[in-house]
Amino acid sequence: MANVLDLRRRIRSVKNTRQITKAMKMVSAAKLRRAQQRAMAARPYAQMLASVLDSLVRRVDIYDPETGELRHPLLVARPEKRVAVVVVTGDKGFAGAFNINVLKAAQSFIDASESRQLEIDIEAVGRKGRDFLRRRFVSARLVEQEQPEHVQQARQRQARVEVTGDHPGILEKLSFDRIGRFGQELVTRYIAQDVDAVYMVFNEFQSVISQRIVVERILPIMEIGKHDIASATEMEAEERERMAGAARSSQVSLQSEDTREADEEARKFGTAQVDYIYEQPPRQLLAELLPRYVSTQLYHAMLESVAAEHAARMTAMDAATNNASDMIDSLTLIMNRVRQAAITKEIIEIVSGAAAI
Amino acid sequence: MAEATQNELRVRLVTPDQVFIDSTADAVELPSRSGYLEALYGHAPLLAELGAGEVRLHGGSVGEQRYFVAWGFVEVLPDRVTILAESVIKPDAINTAEAQQELERGQKMWNEAGEESKRYSEANRIIQEAEARIASAASSGK
Repeated sequence: MANVLDLRRRIRSVKNTRQITKAMKMVSAAKLRRAQQRAMAARPYAQMLASVLDSLVRRVDIYDPETGELRHPLLVARPEKRVAVVVVTGDKGFAGAFNINVLKAAQSFIDASESRQLEIDIEAVGRKGRDFLRRRFVSARLVEQEQPEHVQQARQRQARVEVTGDHPGILEKLSFDRIGRFGQELVTRYIAQDVDAVYMVFNEFQSVISQRIVVERILPIMEIGKHDIASATEMEAEERERMAGAARSSQVSLQSEDTREADEEARKFGTAQVDYIYEQPPRQLLAELLPRYVSTQLYHAMLESVAAEHAARMTAMDAATNNASDMIDSLTLIMNRVRQAAITKEIIEIVSGAAAI
Repeated sequence: MAEATQNELRVRLVTPDQVFIDSTADAVELPSRSGYLEALYGHAPLLAELGAGEVRLHGGSVGEQRYFVAWGFVEVLPDRVTILAESVIKPDAINTAEAQQELERGQKMWNEAGEESKRYSEANRIIQEAEARIASAASSGK
């Protein structure tokens, strides 16, 4: 049996661990609150952009009267032969199953596409996802080809699934600027017919108790303002309960703020029942706005994913803190028992010694 | 939320991060792609794309205000103006040295563009934005 000193040492060590996990939980809770606010504050812009685009699309005849073709390449759907998948995970671990859940969804999307012989280009966002996907799939290799005028980079495809890019640090400080460039890159690839669709796998976050992992198609744009969800995994009831518990104990509100009024207001943007004067030709406006719409969706997904990551970490750390407390309790019990046993033993020795005299 | 009194425009400037301003003004100057335009109360409904330049608010509850936007989109209705802008910066916060560098980069690109019209337009865009940035910083009295 362990002696009292050893047990005391172990209790102290578990207590230290508990202090760390508790601090991490608090930090995550604070970060979650901030992330939630950011996601909230970003809504009017996204909503307004969507509604003005929606009304533009309805007003402008997007079909060419002569050929009957769609006028903007981003609205044209093609049969899918090669698709890009943006996988949004977190940069750090200690967040429970957060990263694994996203990667699982990505994996099942990739597996499901095998029968269709779909080529997949993975764009990894977040360090955890990048590390995992890099290990599992080959990285795309760019080969420089000497052409008469300039050096052109061409790709040699080696496998069905390849990792074509990662974006380190993009989640650390989310800026619309940077994500806009990423979005632009995807749009360019789509227009150049390098890829036939762009999907995004991420953790959608409405509030702490309303989250799901979704696979969303962001290109081509089928219907503006609607999320084109290819598949979604709701969180389990047990998980939700734990999330709710953790949120309550760290004073994070469970309900998302009431933004209906603001949303309603934003929805009216550019959709008044009047004839607008268009400063530029509507088609030109459309051409400028559509790529930005794609970037906004990316931005939004990343904001939500960051919030979800903090929520997941908060929950994981709450569970760790509780487990540490349980462990301390049981260790204390054992320690007391051991001490009591030692005292009892000593008394017996004294008593039997006295009896022998 | 600002309540607009009579003959005042309700002006909102919205960025991807937040609602940047929500106030009122008598007149708003807007840097549209095809030149500056000014919206007064009762303006006909208008949708326009904004280039790089300053959004200026005149009158209203807070007095004159100026903001530099790089790209934007505006909806003008008789009683309100809503601007969507990708980035908003106050003119006195503009980094002139950085803008100068950007301008040089744009000019270099313009010189090297050769036959490609796409790169020309990209270079032109960079030059325009940098020039507007410098002009905006200069007019703020630095």
